[in-house]
Amino acid sequence: MGELTAQKLAEIIARGSTKRRPDDGAPPRFAVGDRVRTRNDHPPHHTRLPRYAMGRTGEIVLLHGTFLLPDSNARHLGEQPQHCYGVRFTGKELWGAQGHPADRVVLDLFDAYLEPA
Amino acid sequence: MDGIHDLGGMHGFGPVEREEDEPVFHHDWEKRAFGIEFFTGSRIGTTGDKGRHAIERLAPATYLTASYYEKWMLALELLLEEHGVLTRQEIARRMAELVENHDG
Amino acid sequence: MSGHRHNAPESDIALRVKAIEQLLTEKGIVDPAAIDLVVDYYETRVGPRNGARVVARAWSDPDYKARLLAEATPAIAELGFSGLQGEDMVALENTPEVHNVVVCTLCSCYPWPVLGLPPVWYKSPPYRARIVREPRAVLAEFGTRVADDVEVRVWDSSAELRYMVLPMRPAGTEGLDEEALAALVTRDGMIGVTAL
Repeated sequence: MGELTAQKLAEIIARGSTKRRPDDGAPPRFAVGDRVRTRNDHPPHHTRLPRYAMGRTGEIVLLHGTFLLPDSNARHLGEQPQHCYGVRFTGKELWGAQGHPADRVVLDLFDAYLEPA
Repeated sequence: MDGIHDLGGMHGFGPVEREEDEPVFHHDWEKRAFGIEFFTGSRIGTTGDKGRHAIERLAPATYLTASYYEKWMLALELLLEEHGVLTRQEIARRMAELVENHDG
Repeated sequence: MSGHRHNAPESDIALRVKAIEQLLTEKGIVDPAAIDLVVDYYETRVGPRNGARVVARAWSDPDYKARLLAEATPAIAELGFSGLQGEDMVALENTPEVHNVVVCTLCSCYPWPVLGLPPVWYKSPPYRARIVREPRAVLAEFGTRVADDVEVRVWDSSAELRYMVLPMRPAGTEGLDEEALAALVTRDGMIGVTAL
């Protein structure tokens, strides 16, 4: 693997390995303020949509840009880059009566997880 | 995947236990495990999502009882076997040899 | 690797790791000297002191703070921190109206360049299970009481973004320089489980 020096290692770490991918030019499907509903399909494979946020309605708060999709990447099905959004949910939406009225949870969700609400 | 790793919102885990002045690593083997993982993923093509998914595929009871770096190593064994790099038998044999040499 | 007492029996996991390292070394996949370097890097070169410098700069320099909140990755890189597990950063400003706190419920995602490797509790099932559901109870365990009319905003870093909290600057610190301010900033404050 060639001689690794502390300097070379520091450079490799500082460069990192972003999962951000070039935009294909297609605008994001959602804008900040849009209401979205998460899919509720419990896929048997790797995904970044946790169970507690499936089938829930939230609001787009951040547009993160285009990233590879872990669901397909983990299965060796290619990167399928797509827009990723910060989506905010209320505590009441996620936990019903047990949710505190002033609690919010923000998740970073891929386009494929979302539909307009 | 509705696995045990998907912990958000679950009941019954009790208080968050913290450690004052926690070291970066608790044991020498954790340091080695971290370093092995750091280099192996990119060498065998299992960085990121593929490595994470291997951890998610550990048995639920193992996931909850193994320490963090133990999980990394158990998942790595799974990947090494799946990618034809090492078998569990080879690892077990080497462990037995290490014990013998230690006693001898 | 040395330092084991002569006759101390090794745990199964220590033995397993040693066996894996030997076998992968023989196959040319890992190099023990390179492992030494990466361990040293994460023990000595990164940690919450990095993030504390970011926070102190933001408290001292309004232009820097604006850049940090608008686009955190290049702003953090201005201070020399970048790379693995911090490739795409977001900074979250605590205000009198909003208290931010960060978790990774599915895994252990954490902003390594600014905070180092995560503490065990951050990766533990109790924190990951509870902080999204009952954040105020968890924060109270950390000694942080949040008024009922203050929003608690939990960031579950479920994708590739990594988050750090910009805590509110403590009162009475007006005269302090950046170095003195940085000394006030804690890891837990930048995760968001404590206020400063």
